[in-house]
Amino acid sequence: MILENAWLIPVIPFAAFVLIGLLPKRTLWWEDGGGYAIGGAAGALIVSVLVIWEVFQGNTLTVGAPSFEWLVIGDFHITFGIWIDQLTAIMLLVVSVVGTLVVIYSGAYMHEEAERRRRYYAEIMLFISVMYGLVIANNYLEMFVFWELVGLCSYLLIGFWYERPSAASAAKRAFIVTRVGDIMFMAGIIVLFKYMGTLDFEVLFANGGADAAATVPSGVLTLSTALIFGGAIGKSAQFPLHEWLPDAMEGPTTVSALIHAATMVKAGVYLTARTYPLLVQTPDSLLFVGIIGGVTALIAATVALTATDIKRVLAYSTISQLGYMILGLGAGGFILIHSQSAAGYSAATFHLMNHAFFKALLFLCAGSVIHAVGTNDMRLMGGLRKKMPITSITMLIGSLAIAGIPPLSGFWSKDEVLSSVYHAGDFDAAFFLLWAMGVATAFLTAFYMFRMWFMTFAGGPRSEYHAHESPKLMTVPLMILAVLALTSGAALFIGEGFGSFMERSLEGIPLSATEEPLSEIVVEIFSSPFTYLVLGIVVLGILVAYRIYYVPGFDRSVFARGVQGTFQRALDNRWYISKFYDDFAYKVVYGFAKLSDLFDRYVIDGIVNGFAYLGANTGGVIRKGQSGNVQRYASLIVVGIVVLIVFVLFVLPWGGW
Amino acid sequence: MIPIEYWLVLSSLLFAIGAYGVLSRKNAIVVLMSIEIMLNAANINLVAFSRYHTVLHPLEDKDPTGQVFALFSIAIAAAEVAVGLAILLTVYRRYQTIDVDKINILRW
Repeated sequence: MILENAWLIPVIPFAAFVLIGLLPKRTLWWEDGGGYAIGGAAGALIVSVLVIWEVFQGNTLTVGAPSFEWLVIGDFHITFGIWIDQLTAIMLLVVSVVGTLVVIYSGAYMHEEAERRRRYYAEIMLFISVMYGLVIANNYLEMFVFWELVGLCSYLLIGFWYERPSAASAAKRAFIVTRVGDIMFMAGIIVLFKYMGTLDFEVLFANGGADAAATVPSGVLTLSTALIFGGAIGKSAQFPLHEWLPDAMEGPTTVSALIHAATMVKAGVYLTARTYPLLVQTPDSLLFVGIIGGVTALIAATVALTATDIKRVLAYSTISQLGYMILGLGAGGFILIHSQSAAGYSAATFHLMNHAFFKALLFLCAGSVIHAVGTNDMRLMGGLRKKMPITSITMLIGSLAIAGIPPLSGFWSKDEVLSSVYHAGDFDAAFFLLWAMGVATAFLTAFYMFRMWFMTFAGGPRSEYHAHESPKLMTVPLMILAVLALTSGAALFIGEGFGSFMERSLEGIPLSATEEPLSEIVVEIFSSPFTYLVLGIVVLGILVAYRIYYVPGFDRSVFARGVQGTFQRALDNRWYISKFYDDFAYKVVYGFAKLSDLFDRYVIDGIVNGFAYLGANTGGVIRKGQSGNVQRYASLIVVGIVVLIVFVLFVLPWGGW
Repeated sequence: MIPIEYWLVLSSLLFAIGAYGVLSRKNAIVVLMSIEIMLNAANINLVAFSRYHTVLHPLEDKDPTGQVFALFSIAIAAAEVAVGLAILLTVYRRYQTIDVDKINILRW
C-alpha cells in the first residue's frame, strides 16, 4: 500500500524547495531555510525507509503501477509512473541516507554563507527531489526528464560561488560534457522508441528483454543500448567524458559529497543496471561497457597519484570506483548470459551502495578538514591527527573501506566485483586483461588514499593553520557514515543475502535455480587465492604509501627526474586529455564556426544585398527619363494614342480579328 | 445640306492644330489657347452629328443630345481655363516665367 504512494518521495523535498524559495525571509527560521531542508530530506527518508522495508518483505511495484497521462496526442500516449524493485530500493537507501546526512552537515558547513544559504538549501532540495524522481521512474522518457533536471541542479550547485570564474566555468563544463552523454542517451531511446513504440519498462523488459530482442533487429538494439550507455558515460564520468568531475570540485564540499560521490554520478550506473534486460541481449554492448569501466578505473587511479588538492584526489577516486561498478556490470552481463547467475550484477550494485557511504564519508571528512584549515592543498596540511581526532579516525575508516581491508564494506564488494570480472574471463578473454587492470587499480587506490591520509593527518604541520575539531553537527554525520562504512558489508549475509535480493529484480531473465547458502559465500571468498592476492596488493600499497609519506627521510624529488619525471608531469596534466579536448575544440570547432560565419556574411548576405543593389541601380537608370518637361510627356501620350488607333484600325483586321 | 464629312474634316483639322499647339508652343498661355481650340473641335463634332442625325438615321426624329452636350462642354471648358490660368499665375509668381521649357523641376 505504501508502494503506491512512493510518488511522495520526490514530492516532499520538492515542497521544501518551493517553500524555501517563496516564503518571506522572516519565516525561514533556522539557518535561512536549513530547517525546511532537513524536514524535507527527513520526510523523504521516512517514506523511503517504509518503501525499502516493503521491498525487503518481497513486495515490488513494477507492472501495473499507477501512472498518469503525461502526453496524449491522438493515439499516441506517454504515461509517467513509478517502478519500485530491489534496484530502486538500493538507490532510495543511498539517496535518502546520504542526502539527509549531508543536509544536516550543511547546517554547520554553510553557516558562514549568510544570505546565500537560502539558495543553497533550495537547490539542494530540488536536487534531492529530482534524484528521487529519476530513481523511481518507470519509463525511459520520465527518467530522461529527471536526468536532465539532475544535470541542471549539478550546474547550479557547482556554480554556487558564481563570482569565481573557475567555478562558473566548471559548472558550464559539467553541464556541457554531461550533455554530450545526454544526447547519446536521447538518441538511444529514440531508436528504441521507433521500433518498440513505447518507452515503458513494463513493455521493454517483458520476458527479460526477449520481447524487445524479437522486435528490434540485433544491430539496432546493440546501437541503442550502446547509446543509452553513452548517457551513463557522461553522467558517471567515465572515460572519455570524465574531465568534468574533477573540475566540479569547485562547488561546496557538501555538494561534492552529495552529488558527485553518492548520488548523481551513480545515476549512470543505475541506468546501466536498469537496462540490463536489454543489455543481456546484446553482448557487444556489454563488452563495451566493461572496457570503458576498466579503462576509466585505471586512468583515474593513475591521475590521483599526483593530485595535491584533497578534493581532487577524492574526485579521481570516485571516477575510478565508478569504473569498477561499470566494469562489474559489464562482466555481470556475461555471467548472466552464460552461467545464469546474477553475481556480477549484484556485486556491482553492492559496490554502488558501499561506495556511496564511504565516499560521502570521505568527502564530508575532507570538508571538515577544509573548514578547519582553510585550504584544499594537502601540501599545506599535516599533523591534523591530534587537533581533529574524530575527523581523523572517521577518514581513516573511510580510507580503509575504499582500499578494501576486511571486514569493512569495501573489501566485500570490491572482492565480489573482481571475482566476477575474473569469471567473466571464461566467456570473453578481454575480461582477464580488465581483471588485471582492476587489480592494478586496487593497488593504486590503496596507495593514493593512504598518501592522502598521511599527508593530511600524520607527520607535522607543514604550514601555519588554526585547526580545531568541527562542530557536532558535522561530526555526528561523519560518525554515522563511518558506522555504515564499517557495517554495510554485512548486507551480503543478512536476511537472504544481497545477491539473492538483487537477483529478484532481474525477473524474466533466465537464472539458475541453485541458491548459495550464505555461509558458503564467506567460505568461497576466503578460500579463493585471488582474494588473498588482491588483499596482499592492497596492503602493499598501504605500506608503500607509509614508507614514502610517513616515514621521514624519503626523498620524494626522485619522482621528478628522468622517466618518472615525464610520467609525473603527464599525470599532473591528467594525461593531457583536457588539453586535447581544449585544443580540439578550439581548432576544429572554431574553424567550423569561422567557415559558417564567412558563408553567412558573403554568400547569404551577398544575395540579399545583391537584390537591393539591383533594385537601386535599375531605378537609377530609369529615373533619367523624367525630364520635367510637360510637353514632352504630352507628346508621348499623343504618339501612344496614334499607335493604338493605327493598331486597332489596320493591324488587327489584317491579322483577322 | 453639305455632306457631314466636311464638318468632320474641319473638326479633325482644328484638333490637329490644337494638338500641335499644345505640344510645341513655348508660351504657357498659348498652350491653354490650344487646349481651347481642341475643345472647340470636339464641340463642332458633337453639333455636326446632332444636326445631321435625321440625315444619317432617316427613320428617326431630330435628336438634340449632341448640341446639349456641346453646351456642357463649353461650360466645362470655361471652368477649366479659369483653373488653368490660376495655376499659371501661381507658377509665374514662383518662377517669374511662363516658358514651359523652364518649368521642369519635377525631374530626376
